[in-house]
Amino acid sequence: MTSIRRWLLAALLAALASAGLAAAAATYLSARDEVDSLLDEELRQVALSLRDHAVLDLRRLESVSANPAQRVLVQIWDPAFDRPYVSRLAGASPMPRTDTGYATVLHDSRSWRVFTLFTGRQLIQVAQPTALRTELAARTAWRLLLPVLVLLPFLGLVGWWIVGRGLAPLGRLTGAVKERSPTALTAVPTSDLPIEIRPLADALNDLLGRLDQSFLLQRRFASDAAHELRTPLTALNLQVQLAERAQTEEDRTRAFERLRQGIRRATRLVQQLLTMARLDPDAATATPAAIDLSGLVASVVEEARPLAEERAVALMFQGAISPAIVGGSEDALRILFNNLIDNAIRYTPEGGRVTASVAANAEAVEVVVEDTGPGIPEEERERVFDRFYRGRGANASGTGLGLAIVSQVAEMHRGAVTLDMADSGGLRARLRLPPAPSGANAHQLRGGSSPVA
Amino acid sequence: MRILLVEDDAMIGESVADGLKAEGYAVDWVRDGKEAEVAVSATPYSLVVLDLGLPRRDGIDVLKGIRERRIDVPVLVMTARDTVRDRIKGLDAGADDYLIKPFDLDELTARARALMRRASGRAEPVIERGSLTINPATREVTWRGESVQLSAREYALLAALAERPGLVLSRAQLEERLYGWNEAVGSNAVEVHIHNVRRKLGEGVIRNVRGLGYTLATE
Repeated sequence: MTSIRRWLLAALLAALASAGLAAAAATYLSARDEVDSLLDEELRQVALSLRDHAVLDLRRLESVSANPAQRVLVQIWDPAFDRPYVSRLAGASPMPRTDTGYATVLHDSRSWRVFTLFTGRQLIQVAQPTALRTELAARTAWRLLLPVLVLLPFLGLVGWWIVGRGLAPLGRLTGAVKERSPTALTAVPTSDLPIEIRPLADALNDLLGRLDQSFLLQRRFASDAAHELRTPLTALNLQVQLAERAQTEEDRTRAFERLRQGIRRATRLVQQLLTMARLDPDAATATPAAIDLSGLVASVVEEARPLAEERAVALMFQGAISPAIVGGSEDALRILFNNLIDNAIRYTPEGGRVTASVAANAEAVEVVVEDTGPGIPEEERERVFDRFYRGRGANASGTGLGLAIVSQVAEMHRGAVTLDMADSGGLRARLRLPPAPSGANAHQLRGGSSPVA
Repeated sequence: MRILLVEDDAMIGESVADGLKAEGYAVDWVRDGKEAEVAVSATPYSLVVLDLGLPRRDGIDVLKGIRERRIDVPVLVMTARDTVRDRIKGLDAGADDYLIKPFDLDELTARARALMRRASGRAEPVIERGSLTINPATREVTWRGESVQLSAREYALLAALAERPGLVLSRAQLEERLYGWNEAVGSNAVEVHIHNVRRKLGEGVIRNVRGLGYTLATE
């Protein structure tokens, strides 16, 4: 596992050490330059002063070059002597002759800086080991580096503490998140959080809020569902008792018929509850498929035909002239039409008629389901979309969920369902959906609605 | 004994009505709050069985309306709202008893009997009027120590007259107590039942009170 604290600390200390080393290196180089020019000048001065004195007497020179601190080697070639005059520092063999001016030579397995001066008669060489210069420059650089190296462990400790302090809000945030439970998803406090962590906390709060909302909906749904199951269960309970008590064969037959109806209703309610729970709110928008509503409604109508025939209700279908393409979830839309058409058939008396029609233009795709049943009074037309609401004229087998599912699916597809009175006095349900936006389908839609013929 | 049943669910309403009718009660069944208010102010019921989740007018409002108009009919609330708070709210609004769905038909009829007994000012479950005893729980009737078999209507007739000592009921009042709205009542139906009761128990059990109606013999 990576640690921000360890990483920050290591990076900071490494940067500090590198900076120290770089400064020391730079100091070393510039010190080296300075020492070079300083000592070169010194060599020249010694050579010049020798020239002034050497003319007098070579023997006096010893006192000039004898200063050990200067660690200067002096060598004077005089045509009067067969070998040069060499000061004490010199090794066994004499240093080779060099050209006048400065030079760096290897002598006696050491590197020397030599200044050579020709007086006209004598050749004066003043030399110094270059190691001396390196040593001086290194000492200067070291003096600079040393405090950095001594401070480094201390900086490490202080840095550890500072980084820890800096990261403390993260710890607080963690604590706040740990305190949350699925039943209490309140937002974590963000007021005292630094701006670096704030976006994380805000995003987290956003998620918590949505989670909470979704949990709330789920809980309410479960509670509503359990509550609503009581009604069919109460009916079943009573129907069983009446069947048990029936005195005559006729009573018993009637009681069992009612019991069967009660079981059908309970089964239907459970199925509708499952449908509702399974409706994925994102299915229509996440991966929308292009669906031809004429074809879909036609197939739902065909599936509903046996029920219509059983109830002696005429079932008609009219497809759209132009393609009626919408984007969304085919499964969800099938459930929607199934509910609308099933409802229409159930509420239509024998000999009545249910018509489903599809129409499309550039703005919307519309599906209308009309029946010749009793309709829904105007004051109830909004409420029938509420979950578990069952109007006054509600069918005995109604669950109060059918239209709630219809409106949920319509919303999923950014559409809307409205109810009004059909010309026959029955109910007219109108679903309006936006047409599919994608290129090809939109083009088809436009082409279809233009007066081609 | 006429009961008003207020229940919007067709299946539950049908079953409760049948169950109560089988116990010999006349049952009027309405399916929303507004109809319930109309019914309860038009007819003197022995009991109102009230569902709370009603269309048009909530059951609690119906209950408050009944009490505001000083109608002191016993009210048995039956509902799926089962939290303690809901029950307290219901009782405080004027309910006499509370039945949580789903319930047993037997429990419903037992509570109905208890409420009506209390309303008629009795504490003991068996009604005694002279040599006549009536047990509403078993609908057993004895006359001079001997058990008598009666039809549901005959029993209801006798129970109505026995509700309070010395109670005199007219033919119309008896009809009202014996039959619900949508039951066909023959013009002399009450007389026929009285005749049958007298035949089974003896002429003396029900007395005619001239100009007023009928009452139980006090011997």
